Amino acid sequence: MNDTFIISIVTFIYFFSALTYLTSFIFGTKQLDRAALVVTVVGGIIHTAAIIFRWIHSYRLGIGHAPLSNFYESLVFFSWAIIIVYLIMRKRYSNSLIGAVGMFFAFLPLAYASLSGKVIADIQPLIPALQSNWLISHVISSFLAYACFAISFGSSILYFLKLKSRATFQHILPDLDFFDDITYKMISIGFVLLTLGIITGAAWADCAWGRYWGWDPKETWSLITWLIYGSFLHARLAGGWRGVKMSVISIIGFMAVIFTYLGVNYILSGLHSYL
Amino acid sequence: MFKKIYTFFASLKLTIFLFLFLAATSILGTLIPQGLNPEQYQELYNPRLFSIFDFFNAFDMYHSWWFTLLLVLLSVNVVFCTFPRIPRIWRLTFRGKKIIDDSIFASSPIRKTIALQKNTPGIEQQSADIIKALVATPVKEEKDGRIYLFAEKGRYSRLGIILVHLSIIFILAGGLIGTIWGFNGQMLIVEGEQSDIVTLFSDAGTKKLDFSVRCSDFAIDFYETGMPKEYRSDVTIIEGEKERISGSIRVNHPLKYGGMKFCQATYGIAGVKNLQIFAKNTTTKDEIILHLNMMKKVSLPESDTFFAIAKFSPDYEGRGPAVLGVVIESDRPHDIFWIFGDNGKTDNQKAGNFTFTLKDFEKIYYTGIQVSRDPGVLLVWFGFVTILAGFILSIFLTHRKMWIRISENQNGGEIKIAATTSGDRKDFEKNLERLLAASVAE
Repeated sequence: MNDTFIISIVTFIYFFSALTYLTSFIFGTKQLDRAALVVTVVGGIIHTAAIIFRWIHSYRLGIGHAPLSNFYESLVFFSWAIIIVYLIMRKRYSNSLIGAVGMFFAFLPLAYASLSGKVIADIQPLIPALQSNWLISHVISSFLAYACFAISFGSSILYFLKLKSRATFQHILPDLDFFDDITYKMISIGFVLLTLGIITGAAWADCAWGRYWGWDPKETWSLITWLIYGSFLHARLAGGWRGVKMSVISIIGFMAVIFTYLGVNYILSGLHSYL
Repeated sequence: MFKKIYTFFASLKLTIFLFLFLAATSILGTLIPQGLNPEQYQELYNPRLFSIFDFFNAFDMYHSWWFTLLLVLLSVNVVFCTFPRIPRIWRLTFRGKKIIDDSIFASSPIRKTIALQKNTPGIEQQSADIIKALVATPVKEEKDGRIYLFAEKGRYSRLGIILVHLSIIFILAGGLIGTIWGFNGQMLIVEGEQSDIVTLFSDAGTKKLDFSVRCSDFAIDFYETGMPKEYRSDVTIIEGEKERISGSIRVNHPLKYGGMKFCQATYGIAGVKNLQIFAKNTTTKDEIILHLNMMKKVSLPESDTFFAIAKFSPDYEGRGPAVLGVVIESDRPHDIFWIFGDNGKTDNQKAGNFTFTLKDFEKIYYTGIQVSRDPGVLLVWFGFVTILAGFILSIFLTHRKMWIRISENQNGGEIKIAATTSGDRKDFEKNLERLLAASVAE
C-alpha cells in the first residue's frame, strides 16, 4: 500500500464528511455535526500519515525530501492545509454549512490529484533549484495562506447565498454578520501568512537567483494577491466597509490566489516552473 | 490649500486606489512579456499596438517612470497616514498607567455604572475577579474612602500597526537604493578561462569588475532518472596577480566576494576537446584513431593529406553530436563533411580512401554566473523582520485597560467600570455583561 492509494481513500472520506455536514445543516441535527467532525478528524489523521509516509518513502528511495516539490504533492498539501485551518477556525465559528464548504474545498484538490489521472504522483528527486532550506517554510506559509483564503472565499459565497436566497431557506442560515466576520478573520490571518510566504520566497530567490525580487510572474501575482487583500483590510479596518463590497473583494482575491497557484504555471511562463 | 494636499495624500481612497491600480497594472505586466528585444515585440504586436505599448514603457513596465511614481506615491501615502497617528498611539501605549483617574469613567469608550445595595460583601473580590478574567490581575489603591482597581495587558499591540506601515517604507526605500546603486547581470566564462566583464540585464550595457573570475571546471550531476541533480562551477577570484578565494558555486549556494553575490544561473557547451576520430583506410584496411583538438591538423597515415576538425555541433540535424571534418591536400581544403558517432543510424563518412567516425570527445562547458550587488538589501531584510514583528504584535496582543472604582457609603454606593481595548469592543462588552450577570446576580 502506498501513499497515493491512502490519499485516494482520504478523498472519499472528505467527500463523505462534506455530505454529512450538509445533511446536518439541512436537518439541523447537532449529532450529525459531531459525526462529521469525527469523520474529518479521522480523515485528517490518515491524510497526515500519508504525507509522513511519503516523506519517509522518499528517503528509502535515496532521494529524500519533504513531499512539497511537485504539483501532486502541492495539491495534497493544499487540501491538508484547508483541513488544519478549518479545524482551528471551527472552534470559534462552528456551523455545519461552513463545515460542508470547508470539506468540499479540501476534497477538490485531492479529487483532482488522485482521480483525474492527469497529475503525476511519482516521487521525483529534487531539481537543484528546489534544494534549499527555504522550501519547507516557503511552501507551508504560502499554502496555509491559500487555505485561509479558500475558507474566506467560501464564506463570502455563503454571504451572497444568505442575501439572495428565498425567505424559507434564509432563516436556517446564520446571520450575514457571521459570514462577514469569518471572511474578515480568515483574510487577516491569510494576509499575514501570505506576507510570510512572500518574504521566505524573497529570501530564497535572493539565494538562488541573486535577487530578492525580479518581477517573475509568480512573484508579481503573489504581489497582486497581496494588494487585493491589502485593500480589503484597509477598506474594512480604516474605512469601516462591511458586507457586500467586502465579499466582492474577497471573491476577487481568491480568483487571484488561484491564478497565482495555477494560472501562472499553466498560462504564463517563468522561473517558478515547479508550482 | 496645504490642508487639501494633506487630506489627499493621507486619504484611504488614495491607498485603495494605489493598491488596486498597482495590482491592475501588474497584471498587464505579466500578460505583456517583459524585456524582449524590439524585433520580437514587432512580431508579437501590430505596429499600432506596438507604438502604444512602447509609449507607455509596457515592455519594461516595472521599471518605467510611471510605475516608479506609483510606488513613490504609495510611500508618501504611508508616511502621511502613519506619522500623524504616532503621537496618539504613543500616548495610548505608554501613558495612562494612572490608577486613580476619575475622568476615565466619563470618557472611556466602554463604561458602566452599577448601583450597590447596602453592605455588599465581597464586592472588592468580585470586581478584582472580573478584571482578572477580562484583562489581568489588578493593582489596588485607595483614596478618599474609594477603592480603585486597575489592570492593563498587551500594551504594545497598537505599535504593531505602526511597525507594519514603517516596514513598507523600509522595503520600498531598500528597493529604490538597490535600483539606483546596485547592479545585476551575468558573466559567461568558458571552462579554464577567466573574465571580468558583466553583461548587465535590461540592456544596461556592461560593467568591468576590479577583479577576474576564473572558472576551472563546470560540472553537471544527474540522478538515475536523468534529472539534473547539481550544477557546479569551480571558480577562483583573481585580483591583480593574486588568487583571493576559490570555491564552488552551486544553485542555492552562491559565492560572495567584494560585496557581490555570484549565483549559478545557466550553462552551455562552448566547444569540444580531446577528440578521437576513428579513421579507416578503405583500400589498405588500416585502422587508426586520430587524437586531435579543434582546428589542429594531423596528417593521415600513408598519404600526403592532413585532417582537421573545424566545428562542433551538439546535435546536428537531429542526428546527434557531430563534428565538421576537413581533409586538407596541399594546404587547401579538399573535402568538408560532417562526421557522426557510430550509432548505427548514419553511414561512416567517406572521403578519399578514408571513412571517419566520431569516437569520443570531451565537452568544454561555459558557465553563466549571475553577478549582483544590492546595497539596499539589508534595509529590505530589516523591513521584512519589522513587518512580521508588527503583525505578531497586532495579532497576538490586544491592548486592554480596565478600571473599577468602588464607592461605598451608608446608603449603598456604586461601582463604576471603564475599559478600553484595541480589539473587538463588542466582544469585550459581551464578556463583561456575562461576568456581571454572573456576579451581581445576587
